[in-house]
Amino acid sequence: MTPILQHSSFDWALMIDKRQKIIGEDRVLFEHIWKTGKGFYITISILGALVLWGLYAYVTQYRTGLGVTGLSRQIFWGVYITDFVFFIGISHAGTFISAVLRVLKAEWRRPISRLSELTTVFILMFGVGSVLIDLGRPDRMLYAIRYAHFTSPLLWDVCSITTYLTVSSISLYLALIPDIAMLRDLGGKREWFYRILSLGWRGTEEEHRRLDKAIGFVSVLVIPVMITVHTVVSFVFAMTIQPLWHSAVFGPYFVVGAIFSGVASVIVVMAILRKAYHLESYIKPIHFNNIGVFLMAMTLLWFYFTFAEYITVVYGNEPVHMAVFWSKISGKFAPLFWLHFTLCFVIPLPILAIRKYRTIRGTVIASISIVLGMWLERFVIIVPTLTRQRMPVEGAFYVPSWVEWSILAGCISLFMLLYALFTKVFPIVPVWEVREGREKASASVAARIESYMPETGSSRD
Amino acid sequence: MDFDRRGLLKVAGLTLLGLSVKPGWQVFSNEEPAEPSPDAETLARKRWGMGIYVRKCWKEEGCRDCIDACHRIHNVPDMGTLKEEIKWIWKAPYEKVFPEHEFEVTQEDYQQKPVMLLCNQCDNPPCVKFCPTRATWRREDGIVMMDFHRCIGCRYCMAGCPYGSRSFNWRDPRPFIKKVALDFPTRTRGVVEKCNFCVERLAQGLIPACVEACKEKALVFGDLKDPKSEIREVLKFKTLYQRMPELGTKPKIYYIL
Repeated sequence: MTPILQHSSFDWALMIDKRQKIIGEDRVLFEHIWKTGKGFYITISILGALVLWGLYAYVTQYRTGLGVTGLSRQIFWGVYITDFVFFIGISHAGTFISAVLRVLKAEWRRPISRLSELTTVFILMFGVGSVLIDLGRPDRMLYAIRYAHFTSPLLWDVCSITTYLTVSSISLYLALIPDIAMLRDLGGKREWFYRILSLGWRGTEEEHRRLDKAIGFVSVLVIPVMITVHTVVSFVFAMTIQPLWHSAVFGPYFVVGAIFSGVASVIVVMAILRKAYHLESYIKPIHFNNIGVFLMAMTLLWFYFTFAEYITVVYGNEPVHMAVFWSKISGKFAPLFWLHFTLCFVIPLPILAIRKYRTIRGTVIASISIVLGMWLERFVIIVPTLTRQRMPVEGAFYVPSWVEWSILAGCISLFMLLYALFTKVFPIVPVWEVREGREKASASVAARIESYMPETGSSRD
Repeated sequence: MDFDRRGLLKVAGLTLLGLSVKPGWQVFSNEEPAEPSPDAETLARKRWGMGIYVRKCWKEEGCRDCIDACHRIHNVPDMGTLKEEIKWIWKAPYEKVFPEHEFEVTQEDYQQKPVMLLCNQCDNPPCVKFCPTRATWRREDGIVMMDFHRCIGCRYCMAGCPYGSRSFNWRDPRPFIKKVALDFPTRTRGVVEKCNFCVERLAQGLIPACVEACKEKALVFGDLKDPKSEIREVLKFKTLYQRMPELGTKPKIYYIL
């Protein structure tokens, strides 16, 4: 049935030779598709169980209503809306690493571009999902399109997130095509699947030129889309007249926070994949170092925006704003506020700033700290404002219930599960991009550097 | 003409794009006013408003006649907990409703006294802007309406309202209604609700239930556009307060101290 069996009778040697040519020296990049160890099955089982648990929690919520959460009349948005902002924030990673670095012609991006784009596409679905989970009547979710009311910032979100999901999926797919064609040529029982997805790719010069053009176009297109996405997410809060939400700095503040948390999560993903799939010779300490330097800059930028946001409030000294401010600084949200500040700034900054600590282990510790801290940041922005809007109400408290935590755990597990399954079908390091880098990059970089050089008499001739 | 695959795809793509222009334009240029009422013109001649005599309300301590009357006819459930509370009209201490009236020399005696709160039926209601489905809208006579059958339960209107006038059905409210009034809809779980200025009673020529129920005549209701109406007479010579007028929502509930 399979092509291998048909050929096997007469020409094994030729077949193996052909496979060898395709695989080349990058065997390890294909290995995680073919070889499935015990660790993988264990991981999948644990993740699957967590997903089922989250599903059970959601079914409970669907049957009895949002009353099973810790939310109340006063604090009506909580973990789900925090997840929404957080997940959409993480999704900024892919665009940054893949598109921005591509546009900047940073050669070192090649091995990590796909894994960050994949993070974007998958986590974005959970951002959308979190809002849907938060709806009181999920059965009516399509009313938001049928009766669309465009003065509502939620509709702006619908538009920009849909665009972002589309563009980043296209970007992910385009860069997959040459690799899919390799898998098709390698044969095997999934050949038909790769044959359809490869769109008849043959790898000619002309095809490569067109693909380059397409990827270049999408990369430029996706950058402004990425910025609108988190700006519009921040507008959900900034457009209201609630204290400490109604802030003009929220757009850029949220975008910076999004890139900050997104890039940190890519470092974590890189470390996990490197270890699990033995990619040590592709994802190197230099990658962690380079992203670590960028992450340090983002840490400082995040601090700058946080400072600007709060100093404006304090100096203005309006009672309604100050009430929320003090609830964060010294009131009942103080432990969470200072924890988030520690996780986002105090811990990562020294690790990322000192060369000695900017190792793989160091950047991963800093990144985990940042990811946790940024979830808390979203929480600390959303919830305290609701406890005392303009009129304080007695008994406004919020402790998330088991349902909310279970659904969050389920979402993260499903994300990891989808990610793991993807690596069973496609190479996670773009093989063709790495090869292109190996074959052409040094010449083109040399030519580029040459073009920066001051022109001397001899070169002008 | 010679067509290769690429050429065919190009032509097909452009054709599809061309065909989608008109429907796309129709969707996004859809600027019809939010389903005008059949008698929009008649409605627009009126602007309902309410005056509340705060001191009259203090005469009988613990009185909740207006609250009970409203909640009874509108099937507002008594959920029993602060967490899932649903309320259309309720009381809050004076110092919390009007914190700006508190001075260092203020006598303490009325700071803890109750003030009635309900939806302000704003001229410029933030909740209406935020609703993604137009489940809440402002009728021509100024009443901010709510369609329980279109609400998707996103609670963005609650985030928009600076007065905390809106409640959410965290679970099925029906078991918590003491006696279901058959002439008013009950709600399902997962939708938002609030005071509707007794729009169903106005249609029958009646005044709102809370106004009718008040023995002290602390609540006054009427048409603000009619210079001879009772409410205009009442509001004429008094010092009036509104809740947070600085927000520009133009509330139509006036407080008379």
